[in-house]
Amino acid sequence: MRLLRAWAAGLPAYLWSGWGAIASLLLLFAAWEAVSLIYGPLVMPDPRSAFGTLLGLIESGAAWPELAATARRAMSGYALSLVAGSFLGLLAGLSMTASMMSRPLVTVLMGTPPIAWLVLAMLWFGASDGTPVFTVFVAAFPVIFIGALQGTRTLDNQLRGMAEAFRLPRRMMFTDVYLPHVVSYLFPAWIAALGTSWKVVVMAELLATQDGVGAALAASRSHLDTAATMAWIAAVVGLLLAVEYLVLEPIKREVERWREQGR
Amino acid sequence: MKDAMTSFDRLAAKPLFLCSFRSFFLATALYGVALLLGWLGFLATGIGLPEVPGGPIVWHAHELMFGFGLAAVAGFVLTAVPEFTATPAFGRRVTLALLLCWAAARLAFWLSGVLGAGGAVLAALLNSGFMAAIVVLVAPRLWRDPERRHLSFLWGLAAMWLVVGGFHADVLRGLYPMRWVLAGAGVMMVLIVVAMSRVSMRIVNDALDAERLRRAAAQGDAMAGERPRFPGEDDDELPAYRARPPRRNLAVFGIAAHTLAEFALPGSPIAGWIALAAAAAVLNLLNDWHVGRALLTRWAFMLYAVYWMMALGYGSIGLSLLGVAVAPSAGLHLLTVGAMGLSIFGVLCIAGRTHSGYELDMRPWVPVAALAIGTAALARAAAGLPGMPAAGLQAASVAAWALGYGLAAVFLGAVFLRPRPDAGTGCEEPMEEGA
Repeated sequence: MRLLRAWAAGLPAYLWSGWGAIASLLLLFAAWEAVSLIYGPLVMPDPRSAFGTLLGLIESGAAWPELAATARRAMSGYALSLVAGSFLGLLAGLSMTASMMSRPLVTVLMGTPPIAWLVLAMLWFGASDGTPVFTVFVAAFPVIFIGALQGTRTLDNQLRGMAEAFRLPRRMMFTDVYLPHVVSYLFPAWIAALGTSWKVVVMAELLATQDGVGAALAASRSHLDTAATMAWIAAVVGLLLAVEYLVLEPIKREVERWREQGR
Repeated sequence: MKDAMTSFDRLAAKPLFLCSFRSFFLATALYGVALLLGWLGFLATGIGLPEVPGGPIVWHAHELMFGFGLAAVAGFVLTAVPEFTATPAFGRRVTLALLLCWAAARLAFWLSGVLGAGGAVLAALLNSGFMAAIVVLVAPRLWRDPERRHLSFLWGLAAMWLVVGGFHADVLRGLYPMRWVLAGAGVMMVLIVVAMSRVSMRIVNDALDAERLRRAAAQGDAMAGERPRFPGEDDDELPAYRARPPRRNLAVFGIAAHTLAEFALPGSPIAGWIALAAAAAVLNLLNDWHVGRALLTRWAFMLYAVYWMMALGYGSIGLSLLGVAVAPSAGLHLLTVGAMGLSIFGVLCIAGRTHSGYELDMRPWVPVAALAIGTAALARAAAGLPGMPAAGLQAASVAAWALGYGLAAVFLGAVFLRPRPDAGTGCEEPMEEGA
């Protein structure tokens, strides 16, 4: 409860500190505007026409179904990899042998470019939702797996010994010793994987599906409509930024503060 | 010649020249009122202003930025630099000579239309000479300071010198010189951010100390029903205020980038985006300022409002450059009337009184004057919005400004014209009782 109160009390200050990020983004828009002035609107439309197009897409209602389809696929794949990656990673971390065995496999998974998985997925699942969902799963899984593995591998044995010496009940052992430590490794991995999912899903849709933001990007490319292309990119990046900075980053800060205080 | 020297020395011996800020701050307040009353007369009747190259708007802009504004800058840096670098104050003769140079520069610019080419050359020499003198006076002290912590003032002042020189170079070449005044406004904003970071450390932390005392007293009353305190319960402990360099540097970068972009590509949307970035960076600066109730004390809040004016000004300029129907002058006046007007007023009150041996002024005229200057800025900005009664708002703005600086001239003039009330002999802060 105190954690929640501290979080709520810190929220205005946290949101206000976003002005720094906004300042950087606005400088990026200035650079974007400069590029569009130099190379002309066909190569790079200026930010205002891209945002205008995006606003038009949102107002006409054309944007939401595409964004919803993309979000559904990204979230399905992400949820699968979150469950499987966390569980298997934690499990593998418990045994030295299992973690030794799994490391090369994860390296193979990480090293295989998502586009290769996409080609396989297209062969296996065709133009269904399965293709982007699978690709997202495969891209996000190793990131979470490694995080979970590290979390259990680095558990402090001395701390466990001390907790046992004090006869800490099992439940407290779990919530006060294991959980905070493991979460402090898992959480950053979850966030990193979310970013990966969101990027990979658009790529998968571009090649494999008829709807979603990726498909809309493919259509705008074939029409040479750079304004619409930039509008879709702005929508995808904007959503990711919003989720990351409004939802995940505040939670991450709390988790990290928890870890700092635990020391 | 000897007679002239003795009357110079006799004049310099007056309390007004005891410290540089005394004469320059009084000149700032008086000139600020006079300029705006003259401008109001011109707006109402179309006459009454001296002929200067570029016309009445150039006169208005040049004199407010390089006459009014630089008098305040001179008073501030000539007092602050000796204090920051722990070097002796500048002498009375230096002060009087600089004030005469400033007054001559004003006169030369006013007459520059009448005197022809010679007048323009004279105005150029006197105005850039005045700025050069300030730079030359403070540069060695800022440079020799062991850690060189205050060099940013030197860069700001040097940029201002460049801008003044650029203005007059344009006049001499027969060009319309307004772009230099806009650049001057940018340099002024940077100087304000740099100066305020120093002033605010003192003002906001004093306010926090007062708040701590108030809380301690309140807790003392509540101690009757004492209970054990849990660890972490003192989470409500007030933070110390720090003007953090990274945030300040981002704001300075944004302002400088906008100033350069607007100078190089006037009216470009690139400058518009950068202006919005500058506004966001200034709002980001306010992170340091959100310290709770202590912010609502008069001095802290006045300085806080300066940043709001600056952010609103750059925001409005940015929107205007990106095609929103706001006159560019609206944002510019939020910067000049609002941020510059309020910060100069704050410095006049704070530095002017403490370095004359008085405590900060807690009388009601201060908030009245500050409110008047804030109102002047908002009214002038509102005049730039579509569908507003521009003439009426401008007149209201001038009246409010004249009220604010008129009060400053009266109440602070009384301080600057008299000797110190304590045993102090120079520009030091009030002497402790019995010290």
